[in-house]
Amino acid sequence: MKILVAVKQVAALDEDFEIRADKKDVDEEFLLFDLNEWDDFSLEEAMRIKEESPDTEIEVVVVSIGPDRVDESLRKCLAKGADRAIRVWDDAVEGSDTVAIGKMLAEVVKKEAPDMVFAGVQSSDQSHASTGIAMAAYLGLPHAAVVADLKYSPGANKATIRRELEGGILQEVEIACPAVLTIQLGINKPRYASLRGIKQAAAKPIEAWSLGDIGMSASDVGEGSAMSRVRRMYVPEKGRAQMIEGTIAQQAARIIEIIKEFKGA
Amino acid sequence: MTNPIEITRILFEDFQPQTIHLFYAFGYSAIAIFIYGTYTQIRKYRRGKDDGSWGELLHRFWDMAKTMGSHRTLVRRDKKAGRAHGLIFFGFVLLFIGTSTITLEYDILEPLFGIKFWYGNFYLWFSLVLDIAGFGLILGLIYMMYRRKWLNLPKLSYARLDRQPGDPDFDRPQYRREDWAFLWSFILIGITGFVLEATRLVWLSGRPSVWDYRMWSPIGAALAHLMQGLGMTSEGASAFRPSLWWFHGLLSLTFIALIPRTKIKHIFTAAASLMFKDPLAGRRLPRVPDDQKNAGYKAITDLTWKNLLHLDACTKCGRCQEACPANAVGAPLSPRDVILSLREFANNALNKKELPKEAELDIHGKDVGQVFMETLWSCRTCLACVEICPVAVEHVPIIVQMRRHLVEQGEMEPLLEKTLQTIHKSGNSFGESKRKRAAWAKDLSFEIKDARLDPVDILWFVGDYASFDPRNQKVTQAFAKLMNAAGVDFGLLFEGEMNAGNDVRRVGEEGLYEYLATSNIQSLSDCDFNSIVTTDPHSYNTIRNEYPDFGGSYEIQHYSTVVKKLLEDGKLKLKKKLDYRVTFHDPCHLGRFNKGYDAPRDIIKMLGCDLVDMGRNRDNSFCCGAGGGRIWIPDPVGTVKPSQNRMNEAGTIEGLQVFVVSCPKDLTMFEDALKTSGYEGKFIVRELIELIDECMDYPEEILEKEVVAEIE
Ligand SMILES: Cc1cc2nc3c(=O)[nH]c(=O)nc-3n(C[C@H](O)[C@H](O)[C@@H](O)COP(=O)(O)OP(=O)(O)OC[C@H]3O[C@@H](n4cnc5c(N)ncnc54)[C@H](O)[C@@H]3O)c2cc1C
Ligand code: SF4
Ligand code: SF4
Repeated sequence: MKILVAVKQVAALDEDFEIRADKKDVDEEFLLFDLNEWDDFSLEEAMRIKEESPDTEIEVVVVSIGPDRVDESLRKCLAKGADRAIRVWDDAVEGSDTVAIGKMLAEVVKKEAPDMVFAGVQSSDQSHASTGIAMAAYLGLPHAAVVADLKYSPGANKATIRRELEGGILQEVEIACPAVLTIQLGINKPRYASLRGIKQAAAKPIEAWSLGDIGMSASDVGEGSAMSRVRRMYVPEKGRAQMIEGTIAQQAARIIEIIKEFKGA
Repeated sequence: MTNPIEITRILFEDFQPQTIHLFYAFGYSAIAIFIYGTYTQIRKYRRGKDDGSWGELLHRFWDMAKTMGSHRTLVRRDKKAGRAHGLIFFGFVLLFIGTSTITLEYDILEPLFGIKFWYGNFYLWFSLVLDIAGFGLILGLIYMMYRRKWLNLPKLSYARLDRQPGDPDFDRPQYRREDWAFLWSFILIGITGFVLEATRLVWLSGRPSVWDYRMWSPIGAALAHLMQGLGMTSEGASAFRPSLWWFHGLLSLTFIALIPRTKIKHIFTAAASLMFKDPLAGRRLPRVPDDQKNAGYKAITDLTWKNLLHLDACTKCGRCQEACPANAVGAPLSPRDVILSLREFANNALNKKELPKEAELDIHGKDVGQVFMETLWSCRTCLACVEICPVAVEHVPIIVQMRRHLVEQGEMEPLLEKTLQTIHKSGNSFGESKRKRAAWAKDLSFEIKDARLDPVDILWFVGDYASFDPRNQKVTQAFAKLMNAAGVDFGLLFEGEMNAGNDVRRVGEEGLYEYLATSNIQSLSDCDFNSIVTTDPHSYNTIRNEYPDFGGSYEIQHYSTVVKKLLEDGKLKLKKKLDYRVTFHDPCHLGRFNKGYDAPRDIIKMLGCDLVDMGRNRDNSFCCGAGGGRIWIPDPVGTVKPSQNRMNEAGTIEGLQVFVVSCPKDLTMFEDALKTSGYEGKFIVRELIELIDECMDYPEEILEKEVVAEIE
């Protein structure tokens, strides 16, 4: 019994960041990298299933497509209890769109043949919410997005899930397994990975796969084969909002002043 | 004149040989039970992990003897109980030595070598000393009985804040029963001893070698006269004596046999606990060995033998509970009960012949003897408990070790978890960009040196709160101006500085602490400086006491020491004096942790202020509630916070104008508490640096001063 969890290392902006010279992305020097928040939940869901059935042998495999620095995030997953970690990378992957990433993940899934596949609903930096579903499409597997609750006994041929819809409505769905589920925040309470745990996980190997390992080539990925490309990244003009500083009394005085200005008094 | 050799007590006078044999049989059995009990206790301790405290045994022994001899730790904050204990202790010790002396002559020296010394003058002085000792013992015990019965001291109540009435271990009546059984049996041994002495005097009143010297045992003699007055004859005494003799003897032997199994064992465990006391307990927390899989204490067998010994040393005196700020505000924590729970757990699990299964050794949970996670998270690691414990129980290292396990299990407040992740990511607890660490320095009219580029005399380790908290930044700027005005050659680490890790370590996130400490040590080792200064007592503590374990030994001073010296040397000149009535709050990490009680007070006096200390000051200072990572865990709504409790204490000082602190976290905590506890407008909270700043007269003013304006 095996659960595969696709995880992504996302970028967060540091204060006072700068846009790269080619204007297509933020200068990497101003980015702080961490595991996508959604992936904490999908890994936790896999761990929950594993731990709730101590008598069944369950392997949790985390997979990420990304450069070397992603190892740090994978180690965090290993520290939280994942059994194996796979990282696929080739410099040619740079600039790939979600569909290409989905295809690559699908190839990994084919090789690993898991009984269940999780991805996050979306990533916090790009928010396409399409990678998991693209992967499912390539695999031809049943899929469900925005899963907020999961009932699944390891190895069963179906699972009952609740999907989160607009306006706080839940939809209960029965899905045939293996399936690809994109997991929503709040499905569980992700565990804390202590730094000692992360350090100890450094001893566990991270399997480094190349494009060749998943039967793909440089021409299948990257900007060239992407169906969309970034033209420009920029900070929009500031609105009228401003931060009022000073003591409470000074702030109140300033607000009164502004109101008066608007009223034209 | 009687022959001195006749002035003695004939042991077993008029006893049948069988009776004597019977008594010896009882005696040996008592000793056997005692030895077996001692063996099981030692076996229990040996089931704990190793501890490195074996060094310098002689030195340790001498320190312990001094502490016990002076009763210093016992009279502290409770003179009467301490003195009463002194009477009991010295009474007991003398009586014990006395009995041993008799045994030495009667059972060893005389039968083997024919040596006798227990007669004549020696015997008379011996009688006198022992009479006085016994009398002291009884007086002490009477006071203790009175104290337990009539003083209604909250610290002697066994009701717990971390259990509900009805829970099996809520108020532990068995403790009360044991206390009384102990007091009664002890006092009965003393009283029957005197009655026995008096009965012997009456019985042998016709024998001059006894009767003529009766005043050498004054209490016995007084009782003898009383008994005679009540009509007891020599024959009556002779008839009455044997049963009393047996009662006294058997009670004493039972007492000895039961030492290892009852609270009486504190005679030994407390002495050993004092002997293995760690002067840096809680100030320097234990490292987790690199090859150890899990950090912290999960099972009772994870405790070291020294921890287990401390558990047994506790005499339930309640002083730690009385000093505990968490307990004072009703949090489910009493340091005493943490110790007692674990002790009970250890006695249940480790006194058996075979060690129970792994699962039965888990000390975390909701069962009897287990410790709640809420209890562990309530601790502020303020060391008030460790400081006052008369028998050197070290609660905080145990609490932190248990938290280390909780952290690995992720059993903590979500907010705390977030903060730890933030610290890991950004190197500070504010989640601010590293680049902004020295943003406060931009408003100054002078440049501060970058210690990473230029050699400096003093490297200033600023710390998170002083760097990022807007209110504290003003203090930080003021300190920079002071140092600049005094012509000190100083510099910063700028973005090379990270959270020092003191509180992260006390939370129990040891891996993150190691990361922070080693990163800072790396940054420091790349700089050229003579010593470090900081305005943050938390950073001060960990750099001073804990970084050496990670290869970073530095000379570090809290700013109060540095500024005091600058003022004394005339490098800083006060342009005016202040006439405020102030009080000073000792920050735990400066005061109790590092004994920096005097420098801030000296400065306050130099400034001309009228310093009135609060009742709880210096080593008894009351934590603001922010320690041990509690600054990142919100206190439950609707409860009084420790900081508010402290404000109420300050509020009782007549005419108080300024509540002076010298710690960034204190400034945050107390300015908040001032508002929430209704003292706003009555007095103000100020960092000592701000008061010094008020007395300065800089050529160019960068910051506005509000201090004067706000004091009515
Ligand atoms: C660490 C990392 C670094 C990258 N660096 C670059 C780069 O420097 N330049 C560049 O052009 N492209 C890079 N890519 C590839 C690409 O831009 C993104 O991965 C893109 O496909 C992600 O879309 P999204 O964030 O909107 O994901 P979404 O479609 O929103 O889906 C999010 C979920 O899909 C899954 N998922 C998404 N991406 C991955 C992935 N790569 N591996 C495993 N699971 C995934 C996760 O479960 C995640 O929670 C990188 C990808 C990763 C993961
Ligand atoms: S360290 Fe302070 S808060 Fe913690 S148990 Fe001891 S006295 Fe209480
Ligand atoms: S731990 Fe120390 S201070 Fe606390 S009750 Fe026990 S003996 Fe007293």
